[in-house]
Amino acid sequence: MKKFLSLVLMSVLSLGGLGAAYAENYGKQKVAYHINVDDEKTLKAAMGNIQNHINAVGKENIDMRVVMHGPGLALLQMANKNPDMQDKVANLKRQGVHFNVCANTLKGKKINYKTDLYDTTEQDIVPSGVAEIAHLQSQGFSYVKP
Amino acid sequence: MNKEQQFSEEFINAFVDDELTPDEKAQAYARLGDDVLLNRQVCELRKVRDLVSLAYRHVPAPACSTSAIAVGHKCSTAIAAGLALVVGGLGGWFLNQASHVPDNAVVAQVAPAAEDPAKVLFHVSEGNPEHLKTVLDEVENLMKFYRQTQQKARVEVITNGGGLSLLMAGISPYAERIQRMQKEYNDLTFVACQNTIERIQQELGLQAKLLPGVVVIDSGVAQIMRRQNQGWAYIQV
Repeated sequence: MKKFLSLVLMSVLSLGGLGAAYAENYGKQKVAYHINVDDEKTLKAAMGNIQNHINAVGKENIDMRVVMHGPGLALLQMANKNPDMQDKVANLKRQGVHFNVCANTLKGKKINYKTDLYDTTEQDIVPSGVAEIAHLQSQGFSYVKP
Repeated sequence: MNKEQQFSEEFINAFVDDELTPDEKAQAYARLGDDVLLNRQVCELRKVRDLVSLAYRHVPAPACSTSAIAVGHKCSTAIAAGLALVVGGLGGWFLNQASHVPDNAVVAQVAPAAEDPAKVLFHVSEGNPEHLKTVLDEVENLMKFYRQTQQKARVEVITNGGGLSLLMAGISPYAERIQRMQKEYNDLTFVACQNTIERIQQELGLQAKLLPGVVVIDSGVAQIMRRQNQGWAYIQV
């Protein structure tokens, strides 16, 4: 009998735990998306992943950084010319997503962020994309590579 | 140190704990490249060290164990389990509360001390030469960045699957560059996955010979998990 009671006790307790976890949903999240490829299909899929991620967590609960370097800058180059990609990026920006650009790549590829990249200001430039991603992880950001 | 000589246990332990001078480390890396037994030994020690540090990360508060023991013997298991759940639950609740302190406090807590080295691992699992060049470019850019900004950093390039070709003697298109990078940056380590080496041996009948200074670990994936548990940042290239 004692054994039975304690079993009941245990299951009630663990169910309680489960309920609490579920009610809390995902809580607050800090996420870094790593973009270093330039094919349009992957980039579009990445924008879709990010939107779905925001939908699941809630835009007020998420600190989202998209960090681009190397070929990944193509995302904002495309957004500069292609209205569909521009919509996607603009839409994510309205929901508070930061798009960060690697200064090494700008220099190496001689890209002018003011004219070549969609809606990019000095504040969006980070010294090194890879170091930024490492730094964000040390600050508790999760890493996602779409 | 000549080839026949064995490293002392103390030396190997100091190597695993990263307490050697750069010169001694170079000696150890040089030997690790072609000494399978030494590799195994280092591998085992790393595993033990990581397991120990992992275990200590999650030691439960002493209150849990004493209250569980204090309950007497007869129905001890069930009640103890119940109690442990309650204590654990409460602990979890308190921890949860703690994580809801104002944002600025959390930031202060998370920010690493200035001397804390940055710890970064690159995961390479793809082997086409164009891609491997990008990998080395990115690793080198990062090393340069840390040097320019005078930040301490440890960087590990972990290869498995097709990525192993980066580190295979006679196959890697960038053997010389890797050797130069190893010399240039003491805190940069190239790592190969033992599982992949064995698979190549079984499936292709090839004896994978590695570039000098490459460290072999049991499993690339396991190493990635260990490193992340130790607070390393993960970057897939």
